[in-house]
Amino acid sequence: MNDADVGKQVQQMVRFILQEADEKASEITVAAEEEFNIEKLQLVESEKRKVRQEYERKEKQVDVRRKIEYSTELNAARIKVLQAQDDVVTGMKESAGEALLRATKDANTYKRILKGLIVQSLLRLREPALVLRCREADRSLVEAVLEVAKKEYAEKAKVNLPKVIIDGKVYLPPQRTARDSHAPSCSGGVVLASQDGKIVCDNTLDARLSISFRQKLPEIRKKLYSKEAS
Amino acid sequence: MDASRRQSGIQQLLAAEQEAQQIVNAARAAKSARLRQAKEEAEREIAEYKQQMEAEFQRKVAESSGDSGANVKRLEQETAAKIEQLNQQAASISPEVIQMLLRHVTTVKN
Repeated sequence: MNDADVGKQVQQMVRFILQEADEKASEITVAAEEEFNIEKLQLVESEKRKVRQEYERKEKQVDVRRKIEYSTELNAARIKVLQAQDDVVTGMKESAGEALLRATKDANTYKRILKGLIVQSLLRLREPALVLRCREADRSLVEAVLEVAKKEYAEKAKVNLPKVIIDGKVYLPPQRTARDSHAPSCSGGVVLASQDGKIVCDNTLDARLSISFRQKLPEIRKKLYSKEAS
Repeated sequence: MDASRRQSGIQQLLAAEQEAQQIVNAARAAKSARLRQAKEEAEREIAEYKQQMEAEFQRKVAESSGDSGANVKRLEQETAAKIEQLNQQAASISPEVIQMLLRHVTTVKN
Protein backbone atom coordinates (compact mmCIF):
# COMPACT_ATOMS: atom_id res chain seq x y z
CA MET A 1 0.00 0.00 0.00
CA ASN A 2 1.25 3.43 -0.69
CA ASP A 3 0.97 6.51 1.51
CA ALA A 4 -2.03 7.92 -0.31
CA ASP A 5 -4.06 4.77 0.29
CA VAL A 6 -3.15 4.67 3.97
CA GLY A 7 -4.07 8.30 4.27
CA LYS A 8 -7.44 7.64 2.63
CA GLN A 9 -8.13 4.70 4.92
CA VAL A 10 -7.36 6.76 7.99
CA GLN A 11 -9.70 9.49 6.77
CA GLN A 12 -12.41 6.93 6.24
CA MET A 13 -11.93 5.58 9.70
CA VAL A 14 -11.99 9.01 11.20
CA ARG A 15 -15.22 9.79 9.36
CA PHE A 16 -16.67 6.50 10.54
CA ILE A 17 -15.78 7.16 14.16
CA LEU A 18 -17.30 10.62 14.06
CA GLN A 19 -20.38 9.37 12.24
CA GLU A 20 -20.95 6.73 14.89
CA ALA A 21 -20.61 9.33 17.59
CA ASP A 22 -23.15 11.58 15.88
CA GLU A 23 -25.59 8.76 15.54
CA LYS A 24 -25.19 7.86 19.17
CA ALA A 25 -25.58 11.48 20.19
CA SER A 26 -28.71 11.65 18.09
CA GLU A 27 -30.18 8.59 19.78
CA ILE A 28 -29.42 10.09 23.13
CA THR A 29 -31.07 13.36 22.20
CA VAL A 30 -34.21 11.67 20.88
CA ALA A 31 -34.44 9.50 23.99
CA ALA A 32 -33.91 12.61 26.09
CA GLU A 33 -36.79 14.34 24.41
CA GLU A 34 -39.09 11.38 24.96
CA GLU A 35 -38.12 11.08 28.58
CA PHE A 36 -38.55 14.79 29.02
CA ASN A 37 -42.12 14.62 27.80
CA ILE A 38 -43.02 11.54 29.80
CA GLU A 39 -41.43 12.85 32.98
CA LYS A 40 -43.06 16.25 32.67
CA LEU A 41 -46.45 14.78 31.88
CA GLN A 42 -46.33 12.36 34.77
CA LEU A 43 -45.29 15.00 37.24
CA VAL A 44 -47.92 17.44 36.06
CA GLU A 45 -50.76 14.93 35.97
CA SER A 46 -49.98 13.46 39.36
CA GLU A 47 -49.76 16.86 41.01
CA LYS A 48 -52.82 18.14 39.19
CA ARG A 49 -54.81 15.20 40.47
CA LYS A 50 -53.73 15.98 44.02
CA VAL A 51 -54.64 19.61 43.61
CA ARG A 52 -58.04 18.73 42.17
CA GLN A 53 -58.75 16.37 45.05
CA GLU A 54 -57.75 19.03 47.54
CA TYR A 55 -60.09 21.56 46.02
CA GLU A 56 -62.89 19.08 45.79
CA ARG A 57 -62.47 18.46 49.48
CA LYS A 58 -62.46 22.18 50.20
CA GLU A 59 -65.55 22.76 48.12
CA LYS A 60 -67.37 19.98 49.88
CA GLN A 61 -66.46 21.48 53.24
CA VAL A 62 -67.85 24.82 52.21
CA ASP A 63 -70.94 23.16 50.85
CA VAL A 64 -71.53 21.26 54.08
CA ARG A 65 -71.04 24.39 56.11
CA ARG A 66 -73.53 26.27 54.00
CA LYS A 67 -76.06 23.49 54.33
CA ILE A 68 -75.66 23.44 58.10
CA GLU A 69 -76.03 27.20 58.25
CA TYR A 70 -79.19 27.09 56.19
CA SER A 71 -80.59 24.22 58.19
CA THR A 72 -79.94 26.14 61.39
CA GLU A 73 -81.70 29.18 60.00
CA LEU A 74 -84.60 27.04 58.88
CA ASN A 75 -84.95 25.53 62.32
CA ALA A 76 -84.83 28.91 63.96
CA ALA A 77 -87.52 30.14 61.59
CA ARG A 78 -89.71 27.14 62.31
CA ILE A 79 -89.33 27.64 66.03
CA LYS A 80 -90.27 31.27 65.62
CA VAL A 81 -93.47 30.30 63.89
CA LEU A 82 -94.28 27.65 66.46
CA GLN A 83 -93.66 30.12 69.24
CA ALA A 84 -95.95 32.63 67.57
CA GLN A 85 -98.64 29.96 67.27
CA ASP A 86 -98.30 29.17 70.94
CA ASP A 87 -98.40 32.85 71.89
CA VAL A 88 -101.51 33.41 69.85
CA VAL A 89 -103.32 30.52 71.45
CA THR A 90 -102.28 31.53 74.95
CA GLY A 91 -103.40 35.05 74.18
CA MET A 92 -106.84 33.76 73.37
CA LYS A 93 -107.02 31.89 76.62
CA GLU A 94 -106.08 35.01 78.53
CA SER A 95 -108.67 37.04 76.68
CA ALA A 96 -111.23 34.40 77.58
CA GLY A 97 -110.13 34.67 81.20
CA GLU A 98 -110.78 38.37 81.12
CA ALA A 99 -114.16 37.83 79.51
CA LEU A 100 -115.05 35.53 82.38
CA LEU A 101 -115.22 38.54 84.63
CA ARG A 102 -118.24 39.63 82.64
CA ALA A 103 -119.95 36.27 83.05
CA THR A 104 -120.76 36.90 86.66
CA LYS A 105 -122.17 40.40 86.25
CA ASP A 106 -125.83 39.51 86.01
CA ALA A 107 -126.93 38.17 89.39
CA ASN A 108 -129.77 36.00 88.09
CA THR A 109 -127.72 34.38 85.38
CA TYR A 110 -124.89 33.86 87.81
CA LYS A 111 -127.21 32.32 90.42
CA ARG A 112 -128.42 29.84 87.83
CA ILE A 113 -124.84 28.96 86.94
CA LEU A 114 -123.92 28.55 90.61
CA LYS A 115 -126.82 26.23 91.18
CA GLY A 116 -125.84 24.12 88.21
CA LEU A 117 -122.24 23.98 89.39
CA ILE A 118 -123.22 22.92 92.87
CA VAL A 119 -125.48 20.15 91.55
CA GLN A 120 -122.78 18.98 89.20
CA SER A 121 -120.20 18.87 92.00
CA LEU A 122 -122.57 16.97 94.26
CA LEU A 123 -123.22 14.45 91.51
CA ARG A 124 -119.53 14.03 90.96
CA LEU A 125 -118.63 13.58 94.60
CA ARG A 126 -121.63 11.54 95.77
CA GLU A 127 -120.83 12.30 99.38
CA PRO A 128 -123.38 12.59 102.18
CA ALA A 129 -121.51 15.36 103.92
CA LEU A 130 -119.55 18.07 102.18
CA VAL A 131 -117.87 21.42 102.55
CA LEU A 132 -118.43 24.16 100.02
CA ARG A 133 -116.09 27.06 99.36
CA CYS A 134 -116.92 30.13 97.37
CA ARG A 135 -115.78 33.71 97.09
CA GLU A 136 -116.81 35.90 99.96
CA ALA A 137 -118.64 38.16 97.54
CA ASP A 138 -120.68 35.21 96.23
CA ARG A 139 -121.73 33.89 99.60
CA SER A 140 -125.21 35.38 99.58
CA LEU A 141 -125.91 34.08 96.06
CA VAL A 142 -124.71 30.61 97.06
CA GLU A 143 -126.90 30.61 100.13
CA ALA A 144 -129.83 31.58 97.95
CA VAL A 145 -129.54 28.55 95.67
CA LEU A 146 -128.01 25.94 97.98
CA GLU A 147 -131.21 24.28 99.14
CA VAL A 148 -132.63 24.04 95.64
CA ALA A 149 -129.40 22.55 94.46
CA LYS A 150 -129.39 19.98 97.25
CA LYS A 151 -132.92 18.94 96.42
CA GLU A 152 -132.17 18.66 92.71
CA TYR A 153 -129.18 16.47 93.47
CA ALA A 154 -131.10 14.26 95.90
CA GLU A 155 -133.79 13.70 93.26
CA LYS A 156 -131.39 12.96 90.47
CA ALA A 157 -129.15 10.66 92.52
CA LYS A 158 -132.00 9.14 94.46
CA VAL A 159 -130.35 9.74 97.80
CA ASN A 160 -131.11 11.69 100.92
CA LEU A 161 -130.39 15.36 101.13
CA PRO A 162 -126.67 15.84 101.65
CA LYS A 163 -125.20 17.97 104.37
CA VAL A 164 -123.41 20.95 102.86
CA ILE A 165 -121.56 23.41 105.02
CA ILE A 166 -120.33 26.65 103.52
CA ASP A 167 -116.80 27.29 104.72
CA GLY A 168 -116.89 30.56 106.61
CA LYS A 169 -113.24 30.60 107.51
CA VAL A 170 -111.56 30.16 104.16
CA TYR A 171 -113.00 31.78 101.08
CA LEU A 172 -111.90 31.55 97.50
CA PRO A 173 -109.81 34.57 96.54
CA PRO A 174 -111.64 37.53 95.06
CA GLN A 175 -111.83 38.65 91.44
CA ARG A 176 -108.63 39.70 89.76
CA THR A 177 -108.15 43.46 89.96
CA ALA A 178 -105.07 44.59 88.08
CA ARG A 179 -104.59 43.17 84.60
CA ASP A 180 -101.29 41.47 85.13
CA SER A 181 -101.66 40.76 88.79
CA HIS A 182 -100.31 37.34 89.65
CA ALA A 183 -101.94 37.23 93.03
CA PRO A 184 -104.32 34.30 93.41
CA SER A 185 -107.77 35.17 92.15
CA CYS A 186 -111.01 33.49 91.34
CA SER A 187 -113.52 34.45 88.67
CA GLY A 188 -116.41 32.67 90.30
CA GLY A 189 -117.86 29.22 90.83
CA VAL A 190 -117.52 26.84 93.76
CA VAL A 191 -115.24 24.23 95.18
CA LEU A 192 -116.78 21.27 96.93
CA ALA A 193 -115.03 18.65 99.00
CA SER A 194 -115.90 15.64 101.06
CA GLN A 195 -116.01 16.48 104.69
CA ASP A 196 -112.60 15.02 105.40
CA GLY A 197 -111.23 17.14 102.60
CA LYS A 198 -109.78 14.18 100.77
CA ILE A 199 -111.89 14.33 97.62
CA VAL A 200 -112.22 17.72 95.97
CA CYS A 201 -114.22 18.93 93.01
CA ASP A 202 -112.94 22.21 91.65
CA ASN A 203 -115.84 23.78 89.85
CA THR A 204 -114.56 27.32 89.72
CA LEU A 205 -115.01 29.16 86.44
CA ASP A 206 -111.23 29.34 86.12
CA ALA A 207 -110.81 25.59 86.41
CA ARG A 208 -113.63 25.08 83.95
CA LEU A 209 -112.01 27.46 81.53
CA SER A 210 -108.77 25.52 81.68
CA ILE A 211 -110.56 22.27 80.99
CA SER A 212 -112.69 23.71 78.20
CA PHE A 213 -109.69 25.33 76.65
CA ARG A 214 -107.74 22.13 76.65
CA GLN A 215 -110.67 20.20 75.20
CA LYS A 216 -111.36 22.74 72.52
CA LEU A 217 -107.75 23.28 71.60
CA PRO A 218 -107.80 21.04 68.49
CA GLU A 219 -110.88 22.86 67.26
CA ILE A 220 -109.31 26.24 67.95
CA ARG A 221 -106.18 25.20 66.14
CA LYS A 222 -108.16 24.03 63.17
CA LYS A 223 -109.93 27.37 62.97
CA LEU A 224 -106.64 29.16 63.27
CA TYR A 225 -104.85 27.28 60.54
CA SER A 226 -107.67 26.53 58.18
CA LYS A 227 -107.53 29.90 56.45
CA GLU A 228 -103.76 30.01 56.63
CA ALA A 229 -102.64 29.67 53.05
CA SER A 230 -99.03 28.61 52.97
CA MET B 1 5.79 2.99 5.21
CA ASP B 2 7.27 5.98 6.87
CA ALA B 3 7.29 5.80 10.70
CA SER B 4 6.23 9.42 11.08
CA ARG B 5 3.28 9.01 8.70
CA ARG B 6 2.15 5.89 10.64
CA GLN B 7 2.29 7.95 13.82
CA SER B 8 0.26 10.75 12.30
CA GLY B 9 -2.41 8.26 11.19
CA ILE B 10 -2.73 6.88 14.69
CA GLN B 11 -2.87 10.33 16.18
CA GLN B 12 -5.66 11.26 13.82
CA LEU B 13 -7.60 8.22 14.92
CA LEU B 14 -7.02 8.98 18.59
CA ALA B 15 -8.13 12.55 18.06
CA ALA B 16 -11.24 11.30 16.30
CA GLU B 17 -11.98 8.98 19.24
CA GLN B 18 -11.64 11.84 21.64
CA GLU B 19 -13.89 14.03 19.59
CA ALA B 20 -16.41 11.18 19.35
CA GLN B 21 -16.36 10.82 23.10
CA GLN B 22 -16.94 14.53 23.55
CA ILE B 23 -19.88 14.44 21.13
CA VAL B 24 -21.51 11.63 23.10
CA ASN B 25 -20.76 13.25 26.45
CA ALA B 26 -22.26 16.50 25.26
CA ALA B 27 -25.41 14.66 24.23
CA ARG B 28 -25.58 12.99 27.62
CA ALA B 29 -25.12 16.29 29.44
CA ALA B 30 -27.83 17.84 27.30
CA LYS B 31 -30.10 14.95 28.23
CA SER B 32 -29.60 15.53 31.96
CA ALA B 33 -30.24 19.20 31.49
CA ARG B 34 -33.40 18.44 29.55
CA LEU B 35 -34.71 16.18 32.30
CA ARG B 36 -34.06 18.85 34.88
CA GLN B 37 -35.98 21.20 32.65
CA ALA B 38 -38.85 18.74 32.76
CA LYS B 39 -39.07 19.16 36.51
CA GLU B 40 -38.90 22.93 36.34
CA GLU B 41 -41.49 23.25 33.61
CA ALA B 42 -43.73 20.77 35.39
CA GLU B 43 -43.51 22.83 38.57
CA ARG B 44 -44.40 25.98 36.69
CA GLU B 45 -47.40 24.36 35.08
CA ILE B 46 -48.57 22.97 38.40
CA ALA B 47 -48.23 26.34 40.10
CA GLU B 48 -50.30 27.92 37.35
CA TYR B 49 -52.92 25.21 37.70
CA LYS B 50 -53.07 25.74 41.43
CA GLN B 51 -53.63 29.44 40.93
CA GLN B 52 -56.44 28.71 38.52
CA MET B 53 -58.10 26.31 40.92
CA GLU B 54 -57.75 28.73 43.80
CA ALA B 55 -59.30 31.55 41.80
CA GLU B 56 -62.17 29.30 40.75
CA PHE B 57 -62.65 28.15 44.32
CA GLN B 58 -62.78 31.69 45.65
CA ARG B 59 -65.28 32.63 43.00
CA LYS B 60 -67.51 29.72 43.94
CA VAL B 61 -67.28 30.59 47.63
CA ALA B 62 -68.24 34.21 46.99
CA GLU B 63 -71.12 33.09 44.79
CA SER B 64 -72.49 30.65 47.33
CA SER B 65 -72.26 33.11 50.17
CA GLY B 66 -74.26 35.55 48.10
CA ASP B 67 -76.84 32.86 47.52
CA SER B 68 -77.06 31.87 51.14
CA GLY B 69 -77.46 35.49 52.17
CA ALA B 70 -80.38 35.78 49.80
CA ASN B 71 -81.85 32.55 51.13
CA VAL B 72 -81.69 33.71 54.71
CA LYS B 73 -83.38 36.94 53.78
CA ARG B 74 -86.12 35.11 51.93
CA LEU B 75 -86.60 32.85 54.92
CA GLU B 76 -86.91 35.82 57.25
CA GLN B 77 -89.49 37.43 55.02
CA GLU B 78 -91.50 34.24 54.75
CA THR B 79 -91.45 33.79 58.50
CA ALA B 80 -92.55 37.34 59.15
CA ALA B 81 -95.37 36.92 56.65
CA LYS B 82 -96.51 33.68 58.26
CA ILE B 83 -96.55 35.24 61.69
CA GLU B 84 -98.40 38.29 60.42
CA GLN B 85 -101.05 36.11 58.83
CA LEU B 86 -101.31 34.07 62.02
CA ASN B 87 -101.91 37.16 64.11
CA GLN B 88 -104.53 38.44 61.70
CA GLN B 89 -106.28 35.10 61.68
CA ALA B 90 -106.20 34.96 65.46
CA ALA B 91 -107.68 38.44 65.72
CA SER B 92 -110.49 37.50 63.39
CA ILE B 93 -111.50 34.31 65.16
CA SER B 94 -110.78 35.49 68.68
CA PRO B 95 -114.24 36.84 69.56
CA GLU B 96 -115.91 33.70 68.28
CA VAL B 97 -113.52 31.48 70.22
CA ILE B 98 -113.97 33.45 73.43
CA GLN B 99 -117.74 33.28 73.10
CA MET B 100 -117.54 29.56 72.56
CA LEU B 101 -115.32 29.06 75.59
CA LEU B 102 -117.50 31.22 77.83
CA ARG B 103 -120.57 29.33 76.76
CA HIS B 104 -118.86 26.09 77.54
CA VAL B 105 -117.79 27.29 80.96
CA THR B 106 -121.08 28.73 82.03
CA THR B 107 -123.29 25.97 80.67
CA VAL B 108 -123.85 23.19 83.15
CA LYS B 109 -125.67 20.10 81.99
CA ASN B 110 -126.62 17.91 84.85
